[in-house]
Amino acid sequence: MMIRVNGKKHSWHEGMTIKDILKDLSDSHLYAVVRINDKHVSRPHFEKTPVPDNSEVFLIPMIAGG
Amino acid sequence: MAEYKMESLKTFNYDRPVIEKGYANQTLCIDISDFVISIKPVTEKTKNIFIGGKGFDLWLLWNAVNSTTKWRDPENAICIASGPMGGTPVYPGSGKSIVTTISPLTGSVIDSNVGGYFGPYLKFSGFDALEVTGKTSKDVVIFIDGIDEKVQVFTAPGLPDDSYNLSAMLTERFAKGKPRNISVVSTGPGAKNTLMGCLNFTWYDLKRKRARYKQAGRGGIGSVFADKGIKAIVARWDTVKVKTNNPADPNSLKGVGKKYSREIVELDPKQNQMAKIGTTHLVSIMNDFDLLPVNNFQYGRHPEAENIGQEVYRRIFDPGYDGCWMGCTLACAHGVKDFVPITGPYKGTKVFVDGPEYETIAGCGSNLGIFDPHTAIEMNFYCDTYGLDTISVGTATAFAMECFEMGLINETDTGGMNLSFGNRLSALKIVHQMARGEGFGQIVGRGIREMKSIFAKDFGADPDLMQDIGMEAKGLEFSEYISKESLAQQGGYGLALKGPQHDEAWLIFLDMVHNFMPTFEQKAEALHWFPMFRTWFGLCGLCKLPWNDVVPEDNKETDEPAKVMKHVEWYAEYYSAVTGRQIHPDGLIRMSEAVYNFQRIFNLKMGFGQREHDNIPYRAVGPVKTVEYESRHERYDKQLIEKHKVDIAGKSTEEKVALLRKFREELYEKLKDAVYKRRGWNNNGIPTVETVKRLGIDFPEVLELLRAYGVE
Repeated sequence: MMIRVNGKKHSWHEGMTIKDILKDLSDSHLYAVVRINDKHVSRPHFEKTPVPDNSEVFLIPMIAGG
Repeated sequence: MAEYKMESLKTFNYDRPVIEKGYANQTLCIDISDFVISIKPVTEKTKNIFIGGKGFDLWLLWNAVNSTTKWRDPENAICIASGPMGGTPVYPGSGKSIVTTISPLTGSVIDSNVGGYFGPYLKFSGFDALEVTGKTSKDVVIFIDGIDEKVQVFTAPGLPDDSYNLSAMLTERFAKGKPRNISVVSTGPGAKNTLMGCLNFTWYDLKRKRARYKQAGRGGIGSVFADKGIKAIVARWDTVKVKTNNPADPNSLKGVGKKYSREIVELDPKQNQMAKIGTTHLVSIMNDFDLLPVNNFQYGRHPEAENIGQEVYRRIFDPGYDGCWMGCTLACAHGVKDFVPITGPYKGTKVFVDGPEYETIAGCGSNLGIFDPHTAIEMNFYCDTYGLDTISVGTATAFAMECFEMGLINETDTGGMNLSFGNRLSALKIVHQMARGEGFGQIVGRGIREMKSIFAKDFGADPDLMQDIGMEAKGLEFSEYISKESLAQQGGYGLALKGPQHDEAWLIFLDMVHNFMPTFEQKAEALHWFPMFRTWFGLCGLCKLPWNDVVPEDNKETDEPAKVMKHVEWYAEYYSAVTGRQIHPDGLIRMSEAVYNFQRIFNLKMGFGQREHDNIPYRAVGPVKTVEYESRHERYDKQLIEKHKVDIAGKSTEEKVALLRKFREELYEKLKDAVYKRRGWNNNGIPTVETVKRLGIDFPEVLELLRAYGVE
């Protein structure tokens, strides 16, 4: 029961959401978008988006537009 | 393929100069009225002040036109240039060209940046910039052959009108067995019959064995091209290596280029995956943050947005390398193979479609209430093929659709078309009509500014309402982001020199989502630094995407993460390595300031460039209609109560709309004041004498112009 967050191993639990991952980070306010495998998820959906076991999670540092 | 003949009208032989530290040190001028071809030297002073790319274009254009020149006048020039770093194969995003002309939509200077091989091939052929003036009735092809050192002008009766076929045929015609040596600039029938024509710049896709293209889309440059009677401009060049650009310090260049390329290869897969999905990731993100334009910018989100998002296009895009310049590891230009249009001259035929990118998906999809990925692809294909700007087509059609839904125009006015939002066949029909110059599409092709006049005069539509909902400023249609909740982005659009295109300042996320700039002064600082730095890319022949669409992992620990200063420092190293001029990151901003202020003054020369010209429609600032207000009433009510200290009890929605409008319009005017001050402009938005002297652009004609506007 493990996921990877920005390439590093991270424990996983049933019902885990993106918000759960970010709450332990001191710089979580910088992340407005997170990618779980190939799917981008934006901040308004962090709380309700479950993170499946074995996911690759990427914290997207910035969205720069066109 | 069509039968055609090519007849040479003029041949001009020249001796190709050696490229020195990124410069050919001369420009090519072609007057197609009488086929006079000449070469102008580039002076050290010109290089010091204007750097290259857009800077060179503006200087050539400034000297070609006078204050009364209109877009159709023969003296109007189309200028194309890359820049000193343009054509470098080891640094990502180094193949851009910038095109300028007097725009048919704005009446003033327009600039548009584009990928493809043309700008670098032009430079390696011996010319830092190309300036084409004059007009001809012959439909000419201009061929710049850097290998055989000659410029030729041909007539070519029988060549197809559409850019898709034309690009392929001319690539084959001039390639001499090496199609990668060719880049074609062309447009199509839509450019001839509208004011929103684009130019297609090709690059050759070795894997797919086909000429593909990117677009210089904004401002109707393609319409000027077609009006001049130019069918195509073709450049031919040989193999490109680092030494082709003859950088001052090739080892430093290779070192910094390798760092940058490696970083992209390592980080893009972890971040936005642009090498796989381009800019399509923005669709769902913009939708989530209420920023995706829906139904003519009324709303920022729609439950069907996922249907036109990255997960869909990831499956549709043809996998493989898609770099529009050699060696770019970001390689974001994707395409759709074997697409079969359901309408128009290519109906039922398999075609390759370059794109779509975010702007096209939002402009020709969500903003028209269309959430079908294949319609966006078909709109993309035909706009390119006909030589039309997908952004102006989308935004102008969205305006017409809202006018139709509001009853400002009706089916009699549209020639029987039901223009309700979501009607994809009507949207496609408009594009086909634009290409033929007929029907209601011909009116839409005049752009929103003219449409407002026509609808008021011929159809009796309410001009004040159309002013509020017609998303144009300076005559240019808005690109595809909702700016209502970001004052900084309102400035990013309204204070942009050419009109509301986001390439000067895309500040929505920094302002609205991250709240990095809560004060007026911080917003003004952002509206100084970001337009200046983004301008710099256009001076040098560079793409801005690698700068901040891939971000170093330690960037968040820097003082100003939004600026991605590690990359800015690499760009300074890169510039120094190519040109031999040692430069600090602050020096990059200083370079841009000179050109930026010169362009503002160019606007003044053409009768624009003052405070009143920085106004934007209220739809870009806040909710125009009660239905918009009510769709986000919690947000707006809260702002009225908490931010503006209004007691809203008992107030109708109409009253609240009016109150909010008063506050927001005041804020926008205050923003203008702060930005003008930061940029060194007076309260009317005109650069001061002190500013032009500081930047070294105090030419006698500039000072004379400023004096005419009371600036001394």
